[in-house]
Amino acid sequence: MTTSTRPLNIMIVDDSTVIRNRISRLISNPQLPPIQISGLAGNGEIALLMAREKRPDLITMDLTMPNMDGEACIEAIAQFLPNAKILVVSALADKATALRAIMKGAHGFLHKPFTDKELIDSLCELID
Amino acid sequence: MHPQLRPQDIEVFTETICHYFLASTGEAAVIRSAYLLEQGGPILWNEFNGLIEVSGDYLGSICFSAPRALLSHVLLKSGESVFTDERHGDIVGEIANTLAGRARRHFGEGLGISTPQLLDYSITTFQPLAHSLPYAIPFLWHGYEANLVIHLETA
Repeated sequence: MTTSTRPLNIMIVDDSTVIRNRISRLISNPQLPPIQISGLAGNGEIALLMAREKRPDLITMDLTMPNMDGEACIEAIAQFLPNAKILVVSALADKATALRAIMKGAHGFLHKPFTDKELIDSLCELID
Repeated sequence: MHPQLRPQDIEVFTETICHYFLASTGEAAVIRSAYLLEQGGPILWNEFNGLIEVSGDYLGSICFSAPRALLSHVLLKSGESVFTDERHGDIVGEIANTLAGRARRHFGEGLGISTPQLLDYSITTFQPLAHSLPYAIPFLWHGYEANLVIHLETA
């Protein structure tokens, strides 16, 4: 008898198309378990609507974005999706910002610019 | 508090440029000497310019200015296969945002940074947000010259 495992759903939130595309490509790395993209969002407002509808298991979240920033979005998503694992992927490199994001519900923080390996390692840690 | 940038503040930005290109492309940038723009400008030199407005404990702007060819190579190294104006504008803004964001390691969260604005060299008249003179940090990457212009002062 075989058991099938449902692929994890990921939502990628970043105002840069280039970054969204890069993360989208990297999640198919064989080091990671099967992950499928449930949504791509360019700002926090769209991400919030998408998260309610798609209920992703994993989220990569930029912080500096138009309309609604990442911190506000994390705080809102953590209220209705407490089990979603959120990885902040941001250029903001001060400790206070990272701590605040964690306090609001993020589970990890990856600084931009990141290498392919750094992103894959961060996602592995998040999933473990 | 200091009203204008000190040499160690400028050094933070040269470090951010080196780190960005090495980490994101695997190829180091060669930094040239930073200099004061004594006439107050020009702020924009190249085809693509990503500007970050600074607020909070500091006032001013951080502008990354690069030619299309440099950005095309960065896009290629990022795995992109689309080389439209929109995609070049996206990456110039993303680089400006990343360079400004990394500087918060030194300046702290009091360096408030906006989302990037794209400025068109040929039609933009930019009203400076700071009164001090800006610094330009020219550098070479992959044989192309680009500039980071730091126009900051304490609020």
